[in-house]
Amino acid sequence: MNIAPRYLGRGSWLARRDPRVLILAIVLFIFTVLQVWDGRVIFGLLLISVAYYSLAGIPWRQIRRNWTVVFVFIGLLVTVNMIIGGGDAPGVTLEQAHVLFRIPLLGAPISAESLSLAVTQLMRYLAMATIGFPLAFAVAPADFGVAFHRLGVPEKFAFGIDLTFRFLPSLANDLQTTADAQRIRGFDWSAGKAGFLSRVRSSVPVVVPTVVNAIAGAEDTIDAMDLRGFGTGRRTWLRHLAYDRTDLAVIGFFMVLLVVATIGGFSGAWSQVWTPQFLIDLAPG
Amino acid sequence: MSTLTMDRRNNLWEVTSRTIVYSAIGAALYGILLVAQVPIPGSTVSVRPAFALVPFFGYAFGPIVGFFTGLVGNGIGDQISGWGALTSWNWSIANGLVGLIAGLAPMYLARWVNGNLRDRAIGGAVAGAIAVVVGFLFIFTDAILQKMDIGTIVSTLYIPVIVGDLIGTIILVPILVYAWEPVKAQLGR
Repeated sequence: MNIAPRYLGRGSWLARRDPRVLILAIVLFIFTVLQVWDGRVIFGLLLISVAYYSLAGIPWRQIRRNWTVVFVFIGLLVTVNMIIGGGDAPGVTLEQAHVLFRIPLLGAPISAESLSLAVTQLMRYLAMATIGFPLAFAVAPADFGVAFHRLGVPEKFAFGIDLTFRFLPSLANDLQTTADAQRIRGFDWSAGKAGFLSRVRSSVPVVVPTVVNAIAGAEDTIDAMDLRGFGTGRRTWLRHLAYDRTDLAVIGFFMVLLVVATIGGFSGAWSQVWTPQFLIDLAPG
Repeated sequence: MSTLTMDRRNNLWEVTSRTIVYSAIGAALYGILLVAQVPIPGSTVSVRPAFALVPFFGYAFGPIVGFFTGLVGNGIGDQISGWGALTSWNWSIANGLVGLIAGLAPMYLARWVNGNLRDRAIGGAVAGAIAVVVGFLFIFTDAILQKMDIGTIVSTLYIPVIVGDLIGTIILVPILVYAWEPVKAQLGR
């Protein structure tokens, strides 16, 4: 069972950056996107996210399935929201909206405004997911702890993050061993279980022993940390992080985006959903 | 001998090597087991038996371990799936809150937490259920962040999530408490 994070962007331009850059970029970009509702600006931000993503050099073939999940998740969420919204959009009631058609059987109205909102939401989600992929695939897993610590996370918790990544392969191995051991006894938890409760019940013989063994086995790690005086003084990290000029330029770029979006958001210029005139014209008089 | 006693109320917030290691194990296990989730037809969420680990780790080891398990575990799960650890940060916080609230059980479920093994198992299920219902209220931030309709959040996110996670929690947390308590006594903790 290979559960460990995949470092697919190894050696790419983004992977050569200080890992803090990838964390800061996503934080700054998400807060930028959250303030913008004008679809034209969001489209521009989506293009920026795609350009940034391409710098991570993540092979498409290996993450096709991940993207499928993203598209299905976002598509379903936005579609359901559009139907439940019933033609409304923020600040626009159904009476004021330009209804384009009604969905057969459901009768839910779809207006120019609600369609614009849905497309904007779709682009916002896509932009945020696109900027998130490099964090998943272009940062060495061993760098997360030190990166978060250098960004201000208390060192004990940063070490906890580091430890989490280190536990992943061994615990995944334990899970596989437990599943194999149960399979030898005639129990196959991965076999197609119909129903909600069956699925939960079927997880018990694998999940419970894996969890209890993992906790019981943690004593060695705890003892090792205590013997080395964990928590009694400042820690140092083997990996040394330092920004270079390119790193600072990337952070600066995303900061400028955030500042511009904040000004645009507060001035009201980009805080409203933009409905294209051609969509309004399509609505029957 | 139990770690789930009233004495714990005073050291609920203590961060020791034990806290950090249990947190990391909880988060790693939760992240790994999230891979085993099954999508709920017609919804954007999944049946997640692994979710029971979040209230269990909170209930058994305290609010900090619970919060870390939910927050970092959900981030790790998103990270492995490619979604990115920080993309759905409000969902990770909601997961963390579930662990935190379950970890505060000694403050609001003292009778069960200090009872016999059966009481502690029931207390785990009750604390977990309360934590799931309350903690996931944080996902309503999507109404502000994404201009989602409240009806959409309730029907496609909140209800499917809490139904799935409540079932997982109510079934698995007492089993985990029953399985863990004798081992804990054996280890002398």
